[in-house]
Amino acid sequence: MDLILQLLFTGIGIGSVYALVALGFVLIFRAANVVNFAQGEFSMVAAFLMVVFAVDLGWPYWLSILLTLGGMALLGALFNLGVYYPLRHRTYLPVIISTIGASIFLANTTLALYGPQPQVLPPVFEGQGFLVGPVFLDSQYLLIIAVTAALVAFQYWFFEHTLVGKKLQATSQDKEMAALLGIPVAGMIMLTFVYSAVLGGIAGILVAPVLFVSIQMGATIALKAFAATIIGGFGDVAGAIVGGLALGVIETFGAAYVSVPYKDAFAFIVLVIFLVLRPQGLFGERVAEKA
Amino acid sequence: MTSPPAKPAAPRRFPLGSLLYAAAAAGAVALAATTPLNGYLLNILMQAATYSVAVIGLTVVLGLCGQINLAQAAFFGLGAYAVGLGTVDAGISFWLCLPVGMLLAAGLGAVLGASTLRLGGHYLAMVTISFQQILTLVLTNWIPVTHGPDGVPGIRRPPLFADGQSYLALCVAVLALVGYAVWRMPKTRLGRAMRAVRDNELAAGVAGINVYRTKVAAFALGALLAGLGGGLFAGGFTYISPDQFSFAESVVFLTMALLGGVGSPVGAVIGTGLLILIPEWLRFLKEIPGLYLAIYGLAVILIVVFMPDGIWGFLGDQVRRLRRRRPAPPPAGDLVLEQAAGTGAPVLEVEELSKHFGGLKAVDAVSFAVARGGIHALIGPNGSGKTTTLNVLSGLYTPTGGRVRLEGRDITHRSPHARAAAGIGRTFQNIRLFRSMSALENVVIGAERPDNALVARDRAALEARAREALAFVGLEGRADEPVASFSYGHQRLIEIARALAGNPVLLLLDEPAAGLNSSEKNALTVLLRRMAAKGLTILIIDHDMTLVSDVANHITVLNFGRRIADGLTAGVLREPAVIEAYLGEAEGPATGLKTDLAPA
Amino acid sequence: MTTRRAFIKASACTIAGGLVPGVIRSAWAQGAGATTRIGMVLPVTGPGADAGRFALNGAKIALEAVNKAGGVLGKPLEIVTEDDQTTNPGAVLAFSKLASQPDLVGFLGSIRSTQNHAMAPDILKTGKPVCFGGTDPVLTQLGNPWLFRFRPNDSFSARVIAEHGVAGLGKKKWAVIHSTDAFGTSGAKALTEALGKAGATVALDQGYANQSQDFTPVVLAIRQSGADVIGSYFTFENDLGIFARQLRQLGVTAPWVGSPSITNVTALKLAGPSLYGTYGVADYAEESSDAARAFGKAYRAATKLAPDNQSSWTFDAVTVLAQAINKAGKTDPQAIREALLAVRGHEGAEGTYNFDKNGDGLHGYNVVRNDKGTIVFDKRIDFYQG
Repeated sequence: MDLILQLLFTGIGIGSVYALVALGFVLIFRAANVVNFAQGEFSMVAAFLMVVFAVDLGWPYWLSILLTLGGMALLGALFNLGVYYPLRHRTYLPVIISTIGASIFLANTTLALYGPQPQVLPPVFEGQGFLVGPVFLDSQYLLIIAVTAALVAFQYWFFEHTLVGKKLQATSQDKEMAALLGIPVAGMIMLTFVYSAVLGGIAGILVAPVLFVSIQMGATIALKAFAATIIGGFGDVAGAIVGGLALGVIETFGAAYVSVPYKDAFAFIVLVIFLVLRPQGLFGERVAEKA
Repeated sequence: MTSPPAKPAAPRRFPLGSLLYAAAAAGAVALAATTPLNGYLLNILMQAATYSVAVIGLTVVLGLCGQINLAQAAFFGLGAYAVGLGTVDAGISFWLCLPVGMLLAAGLGAVLGASTLRLGGHYLAMVTISFQQILTLVLTNWIPVTHGPDGVPGIRRPPLFADGQSYLALCVAVLALVGYAVWRMPKTRLGRAMRAVRDNELAAGVAGINVYRTKVAAFALGALLAGLGGGLFAGGFTYISPDQFSFAESVVFLTMALLGGVGSPVGAVIGTGLLILIPEWLRFLKEIPGLYLAIYGLAVILIVVFMPDGIWGFLGDQVRRLRRRRPAPPPAGDLVLEQAAGTGAPVLEVEELSKHFGGLKAVDAVSFAVARGGIHALIGPNGSGKTTTLNVLSGLYTPTGGRVRLEGRDITHRSPHARAAAGIGRTFQNIRLFRSMSALENVVIGAERPDNALVARDRAALEARAREALAFVGLEGRADEPVASFSYGHQRLIEIARALAGNPVLLLLDEPAAGLNSSEKNALTVLLRRMAAKGLTILIIDHDMTLVSDVANHITVLNFGRRIADGLTAGVLREPAVIEAYLGEAEGPATGLKTDLAPA
Repeated sequence: MTTRRAFIKASACTIAGGLVPGVIRSAWAQGAGATTRIGMVLPVTGPGADAGRFALNGAKIALEAVNKAGGVLGKPLEIVTEDDQTTNPGAVLAFSKLASQPDLVGFLGSIRSTQNHAMAPDILKTGKPVCFGGTDPVLTQLGNPWLFRFRPNDSFSARVIAEHGVAGLGKKKWAVIHSTDAFGTSGAKALTEALGKAGATVALDQGYANQSQDFTPVVLAIRQSGADVIGSYFTFENDLGIFARQLRQLGVTAPWVGSPSITNVTALKLAGPSLYGTYGVADYAEESSDAARAFGKAYRAATKLAPDNQSSWTFDAVTVLAQAINKAGKTDPQAIREALLAVRGHEGAEGTYNFDKNGDGLHGYNVVRNDKGTIVFDKRIDFYQG
């Protein structure tokens, strides 16, 4: 039993990371109908920025976080201008490829600037965690779960109860109609990219103490988060959260009870099963082209 | 059934291009076999040649058919492992292993495509990535079979090609053959179908192309070529390991295809060559780890933004401008539209047809019949369910209930292309042409409709038929121009010609007058009458009451998804319910709708 | 190597062929023919770039020493490098690029076994000695006469891990944890064999895929198995770091004897206190001999970094290769080969080199202990028998 609880905690912790990154995917997908293959690199860049501010320069943790998130906002804006905006009238294909190019660019620019060594970012809390009965709760994972929950709540409030949030929703549902209503569509999409980059940044800052800071860290998480997005139903926030958590748990239990080396395959097998049996995902609606 | 009238054979063009190609290919093979190469050059050329074959596979999937495939390295790996494990562990001949690997790749490609191609787009990207990851895991972890991460050393080349140079010559020869096949492919039936699917899936379906099967075929073919390239690669380097076929390689393949230009095998070879050579030119950048790849990533973005058709696409445009115009084809004959002998039974019977979107009853138990010959109009105010009905009739929507019969056959559950085969042709309100093709090619696809017994399946006959259809709508002189260069009104005519070329039993016209100016509308009226005069049965929906009352001899009126009137034109237009639906209750019931049709 | 690299390295790959030579030229050696040149395949890009830099550092230190002592065949020695991009095709192209330069008399191969496997056909064709650091035992049993190993192979590391755990620590119930890449699987296989011979049992044999983000299931499996000692083959330090932390968090206190990666600088930095008290086998241990100390001193002086096995083997390879060429007195490959095979009792940074007929130069490992973050030399176990 304690074994199952331990695995469950780990699965939810890992799943929260996927969910957090998936949230960024979903936002951009909804606003711009773009799958951002560089979402994972947002997390990676943020983790490196933290290392620069908090470790190399030795600035206070809170200040480093602020600076890092500011940097991510800027990166999100530049990303929108450079990678998405010029292609906004083309089909999904060039945009996918362009974001893949961006992910290569970000990863290797970081490599060129910082070198290939993995780095250590100290956790927010000193202690590693504590035992509850036989189950060890890693404090960083607890923090990740808490922040994910808080962000989901914030996002809900933001979209449902603020004017900007409603404008964003209108934009994601029907750009032409939104434009007719006087909503600055380009500005809203810009805001989405900025917010997604910040979300990715938060995910990166949170996982860095657990997974270490390496050039590869973003890509592995992003693939899983992407799978979570599809399982949850593309374009659905609740779906991304549930999909991410489910994936984390499935993966952890699959590794424990089926095979450790094939751990990464579980995510993709689940994904393929979903695509064949329920392509709209857990929450999504089937999308059809109109004649 | 009468045979189509004899036509003068179109002058066959001297196959200069093919001959030049053959000469160049033979030259390249000879060069590869005889020029003394050091090991480094040999390896780099071997890599370029085998990779090119796989990248040409992407030309088919992505370029011709418009489907993304991020697992090309996995298919490449399947071919490579078939040759590796086959020759090393099983001791089977290279010549047997190679096709086995190709079939394995094609088979898995088809299965993968078949299970997910209905989804397309982002989903396809994700599924192919998943397949790629799973294959890599299997290659790494299924050690008893794959040798695991150690890889497979000591792969044997076929006896005749054991030496590096002759093997390179073999690779170049295969590349040349594959390149030729894919170069000619757009002009084949399958190739045209792929391009049509890429340009406009919906229009391809209603023109009689089995969209799904075409996509699966493209996917399987792309995988097959990847398997071929992989098999050759394994023989070339005599050692393979799982990390050579990872997701990163798939991205490289994709970038190679995009850089060179995804529309042509030449582009594939250019892209592959450049991405293998560019690192050579950028040596100095490699002093700082990551810098080279950062620039590479940036280049990918720049290519996509500024050179969407790749290098060859860009060059090709320049070449095309210089090319001589083809000699004018012989004047087109008269368009034959052949209709079954009138039995008196209606062509189309719609019974209690319903289409609900969630709670919205867009079409609600509508019944009507379309008699053979003449023009039947389906009208109604905005939101009355006209277009939905048409979409159900042509198979784009599955009905919630009811039946549709065409010439007595139940077609309710058939797919769009099966309905096209049964004889339904249609046009779209927002014109759906295959934008990358010429007017003629668009119409040839219409003529290729399955079960179109009127046309032989050879190119000359199809083109002659297409020219006739274009002549019928008055655009024969501009047949070879790309459709994008036509005005909106002319594009609509091309769409009609595309449907006519298929010799449909029933032609569905979706608001053909939308967006036309008054003189174009007049021309359309005349055209519709000429079509009807040929005995064609037409179901038209339109807002333009003048047009409808002008040409239609029978009208069905819908409002809020329900049929509110049905009958001969003049009578229907005077029915109070119809007038009310169109004008609201303000108008008196006796006024009648303003038309220039004299009351019958 | 990595089973799952994702977007990032995207292109790393083969795009390439890529090959970019950074040529290390001593200021006073310009122009062809003025130097004796050897080639070196190393990762400059890709995930191994880090290791590549260390390898180059070690080679450079040896190069300077060789040239200070008069060079090779009366001429200064020069190293020509090519980037293998940390991929197998990259290594093949890098090597064939070097091999196509006829004046290169010998080569330094890769520290990665699969890359050496990939290059082996070209090495055989080229017919010149290649000194490499990959530890897959099979490499020197391929019948390829041109491969010379400058690190002890995995059969030795496994025997040393088993010997230290069973005889030294007195533990007989083992959990074997290993990466599923070539290095990990071959190491685990050898360890299982060695444990069998030593009369110990394997309670758990658990592989994992590289770049795993979580090791909870693995750690729980160790706990379940009741193993009282852990033997490990980890390839990447970040995997090792995550595993070490979770192992301690979940309360596993069994002693741990790991493959060389457990002692390297990056692993120590990442895992921190989680690795305190663990044992590792190390082909390089600074305190293991005078030669090792001397190399350590020179390395620290040149780079301000702590020396490790990624630099020590290239240091030894360049030193020994230069000696062999001098001893052969000519650049004839066969003569150099015979001179290399005749090396006996050379005190290198990694240990005492005695080449056997297969081309294996080293036959033992050092056992080291992590004493609160400092690597302390424990003992050397050598299996060389004349």
